[in-house]
Amino acid sequence: MSASQSAVRSRAEAVKASRTFDWLICFTLFFVVLGGYHIHYMLTGGDWDFWTDWKDRRLWVTVAPIVAITFPAAVQAMLWWRYRLPFGAVLCILGLLLGEWINRYLNFWGWTYFPVNFVFPSNLMPGAIVLDVILMLSNSMVLTAVLGGLSFGLLFYPGNWPIIAPLHVPVEYNGMMMTLADLQGYHYVRTGTPEYIRMVEKGTLRTFGKDVAPVSAFFSGFMSILIYFIWHFFGQWFNKTDFVKSA
Amino acid sequence: MKLLKDKVAKLSFVALLATVTASMFYTPTAAAHGEKSQAAFMRMRTIHWFDLNWSKEEVPVNDTMTISGKFFVFSGWPETVDKPEISFLNIGIPGPVFIRAGSWIGGQLVPRSVSLELGETYDFKVLLKARRPGDWHVHTMLNVKGGGPIIGPGKWVTVTGSMKDFKNPITTLTGETIDLETYNLDNTYFWHAFWYALGLAWMGYWMKKPMFVPRSIAVESGKADSLISSTDRKVAMGFAAGTIAIVAMSMSTTNEKFPVTTPLQAGLLRGIKSIEMPVTSVAVKVEDATYRVPGRAMQMTLTITNNGDSAVRLGEFNTAGVRFLDSNVAQDETGYPDDLLAEEGLTVSDNSPLAPGQSRTVQVTASDAAWEVYRLADLIYDPDSRFAGLLFFYDEAGKRQLITIDAPLIPTFI
Ligand SMILES: [Cu+2]
Repeated sequence: MSASQSAVRSRAEAVKASRTFDWLICFTLFFVVLGGYHIHYMLTGGDWDFWTDWKDRRLWVTVAPIVAITFPAAVQAMLWWRYRLPFGAVLCILGLLLGEWINRYLNFWGWTYFPVNFVFPSNLMPGAIVLDVILMLSNSMVLTAVLGGLSFGLLFYPGNWPIIAPLHVPVEYNGMMMTLADLQGYHYVRTGTPEYIRMVEKGTLRTFGKDVAPVSAFFSGFMSILIYFIWHFFGQWFNKTDFVKSA
Repeated sequence: MKLLKDKVAKLSFVALLATVTASMFYTPTAAAHGEKSQAAFMRMRTIHWFDLNWSKEEVPVNDTMTISGKFFVFSGWPETVDKPEISFLNIGIPGPVFIRAGSWIGGQLVPRSVSLELGETYDFKVLLKARRPGDWHVHTMLNVKGGGPIIGPGKWVTVTGSMKDFKNPITTLTGETIDLETYNLDNTYFWHAFWYALGLAWMGYWMKKPMFVPRSIAVESGKADSLISSTDRKVAMGFAAGTIAIVAMSMSTTNEKFPVTTPLQAGLLRGIKSIEMPVTSVAVKVEDATYRVPGRAMQMTLTITNNGDSAVRLGEFNTAGVRFLDSNVAQDETGYPDDLLAEEGLTVSDNSPLAPGQSRTVQVTASDAAWEVYRLADLIYDPDSRFAGLLFFYDEAGKRQLITIDAPLIPTFI
């Protein structure tokens, strides 16, 4: 892997070339991850991320982290074991959120005129930062999966609460009580998303009474651990150099 | 080097394009013009909308209009469509050009899904508040779980003014009045920007250092541990601790600021009141029914028996929202959409008043371009070639009776 033999003539030039290479790789990786991750997340988390009246304390809390930890786990595996670069998860989330914001702003608001305060994406950054730091400090996939996966699930709801809490203030509307988020879903007509396909407040965690969000978050954390393992291995496999070596 | 650079640049550009395209991929369905492409039997044999009224044809932004009327949940509901046990009274408009300020079935507010019963008639009302200027086709619509959207008649309504004047004030149970159009927007932007910036700072910290080539060399020569310095560890711990602290703090300040919050409301509404329809005193038997393709006309032979105490005449045949009237008996005074109204589209071979106790067999022809325009004639290509509709009879006092018919239809091509 000596880059200084043919392409460049001096050490300074080699450093410069390597730096250019860094930027190009980062740029490409960012957008490739953005594209793949964005599509994956829209297909699996879709409506839960699109609408505030889907962002409940049971299913959204459970589903979003589980489907979101996939790409971060894989990209971490690529960047950490080969380069000891601990920003795989954050890179993914930066890409995903940029894609989501472009989509919400241009399509949901710009094209269809849904107010942005109804269609903004979920915040996944706190979990991603902690995931990266745990991998860096522990240098262990198992620890990252267990501690990081759990944190990723647990940090999701509190990390979003400052944004969605104002929408959970109750209103009385024509004799019925609902939250402002419910009212957004009712007011801003979605012909293609009838109310009955909304999957919120369903599940079997009834016995926990009103403290259902932490329970859902723990469950999500445990599932995230499993998904982390799978996608971390997937990332490692994808990152093998066997294909290059034989060539 | 130049070559490599060009290649990577090109690749990046392709990736960028692919990404932008991908993120443009999804837009919530906005168009509501599926009415004509919906299978004819769906429109004829599921929900019969009648007595519809669009209160205005032109509405300024912020003003309201209503769509009201009745719908009959057809007793001969097709086997292929799930029954409307879980259904939602929607409105067919291209996105939120109006907001749905209210919707009621049988006087009950229906922001959530409802359970409806076959053979029942319900009255409904939808209150719309104009939001975005333009000419919009406003349809009645009922979504049925397992059956899809059932689109009813649509009428063009013009919204005038400017969308930036639109306001949506709501008073919460905590006594605050907010504008739901922009409420919480700054807060959302703030937190998203804040966390995005923190993520960028973390990436920036590592991107400042040489990345791929030298680090890869170091890892491969067994010096991986030298790549993470003690400063790096401190910075990382700072980021993690800071993240957790900010999450905890912002959560508790949020709880202080919004002490009263409730979970999202969901669940099926049952026990929706239907209309008590008057007992009918007219009996109709469909002897046969044919659709003449070249003439765009449906012809049926009906045996009508009047069991009441007042003479009756047939005034209207209504199917899939298309109304065929005999103008001698019934006229429309509600401003029903032109394309769905055949004011003289109904011909009855003998439509003189049918006296009480009498029975008569008549030829009834319903003809109008609407058969073709609304692709109702496609019915003859359906697997179960049956038609259905509502007949309206009027007695001497002008009292109306509604009779449902449901019978096989035979096409004739000559
Ligand atoms: Cu239309």
